[in-house]
Parts: sequence; C-alpha cells; structure tokens
Amino acid sequence: MKLFRTAFGAALLVACLDHAAMATTQNVIFNGTVTATCTLVVATNGTMTVSPDLQSLSSHNSGGSAGTVTLTTTGGVSLSVDPVTTTTAPAADSTATTWTPTYSTSGAHTIAETGAATALTIPGADLVSVHLAGTKGGSNRFASGNYQATVTLRCE
Amino acid sequence: MKYARILATALAVGLPTIAAEAQSMSPMRGEVNSFTDVFAVRVFPANPYDQKIKVEIHVYDQDFQPVNARIAPGTFQLAAQASRPVLVVVPFDGAAERKVRICTESIPFPNQQTQIRAQICGKFFGHRKF
Repeated sequence: MKLFRTAFGAALLVACLDHAAMATTQNVIFNGTVTATCTLVVATNGTMTVSPDLQSLSSHNSGGSAGTVTLTTTGGVSLSVDPVTTTTAPAADSTATTWTPTYSTSGAHTIAETGAATALTIPGADLVSVHLAGTKGGSNRFASGNYQATVTLRCE
Repeated sequence: MKYARILATALAVGLPTIAAEAQSMSPMRGEVNSFTDVFAVRVFPANPYDQKIKVEIHVYDQDFQPVNARIAPGTFQLAAQASRPVLVVVPFDGAAERKVRICTESIPFPNQQTQIRAQICGKFFGHRKF
C-alpha cells in the first residue's frame, strides 16, 4: 500500500509538471506592413544673389544659399523638381528670365546636382539642397528690386 | 444612399486597411476596383513639422494636368505631427481605367526670396468593373 501511494504521488507530480511545461510554449505572432513612404520637411528657404554682370540671379552666386529639405523614405520613390512657374519681379524688369531649378542630396542617397528625376531605391534619410538660377541673355540685365520664385520639390 | 453604399463597397474592395501614422502622405500607391463611374481613395496627409501648416490636396493625371476630382477637404490646416483622412473621388470620364496622382502640397513659408514647395504624390490606379 505504501508503494502504491508513492507511485501514485510520483505519477501525479509528473502529470502536473508536464501540464505546466506545455503552457509556456505558446507563440505570439506579430505582423506589420510598411508601405512606400516619403516625408519632406523644408528646413530653410534659399537666397539668390546677382552676379557682377547682372545676368545671373542664383543661389550659386557668392553670398547666395541653397534651400535645404530633409527627406526620409522607405525607398521605392522618386525625387524631382518642377519647372518654376511662380515668380515675382520688380516692375522695372520687363525682360525674360530663364529659371533653372536643381537639387542634390547627401545621406543615404548621394545625388550630384541635377534637374532630372532620380529614383530613390533604398530606405534612409537625406539632406536635399535645392538651388535656383535665373539667367538673362543678350543685353538684358536684372533690375533693382525684390525677386521671388517658388520651387516645387516632389517625392512620388 | 445607393451611391454611398456603392462608394463604400468600392473603397472596401480596392484598399487594404490603412494606418494613419505621422507621414507626409499614406498610402503612396494603390489600386482600386469600382463598380461605378467613379473610384474613391482615402489618403492620410500628415504634418511632420512642429508647427501648424496649411495643406492642399490636388489630383493630377499622368501628364500632371489637373483632374476634376472631388476632394474632401481640399484645403485645411494641420496641427503639428497630426494626420487626417481625405476622401478623393475620381471620375473615370468614360475610360475603363485611370491612373492619377494625388498630391499633398505644403504652403511655403512667406516672405522668403526662394520658396520651396514640398509635394508628396501618390500614384493610384482605378479599374472600372462592369
């Protein structure tokens, strides 16, 4: 009888231990989907200065500065600039100006200065420098006064 | 009422569940099946800045010509780090399928010599099912 009680107790203990061990091996599964994303944050606008011959008004000229934008993307998007359509010029400037927007990036993607669309295939963050140059041909010159232009930087 | 039901069905069929996180616009890609002469897309523009901004939503075709779509709301203020849903209803204009860009544009800071307009565009493909 004593042997029976000992055997029964041992069997019960093993059964309990086995039950407790099963309860610790359940898996919890997490799923997540990241879709193609792009974030642009304009940090600074640009400044254009005029060249000594008064035929160039550009952020490349001495004293000028590029606009800066931070870009964060998952990749699978493209970056581009639009032709400049919105400008203001002083009334004294009645001659045509050719505006050329360009950009370059440093960071996860290194893009040399360009005006064409560029594919961003890998994820990462970049600092985008946006330049704008206005030029006049022939004998035309920039007039004194305030100029303003808007560059559209697109991520799509 | 019938139109609303059809529109809801088109949305449910065409788009997966979308999370509205702090992004400039989500989703940026999508394919929608519709049983009417329009298709609908819900996008979530977000403000990544630490200040309130004014946001405009525009719809363009593949050649960046404006599309006469219904956008609700088309222009709005967005609080810092906030996001909100925008419903865009695009007409097929008789075509069996249509590709459009839905763009979120931030309004540039005023009084700067060279202003930068940030534009995030998503590409969406609508299929008309008969």
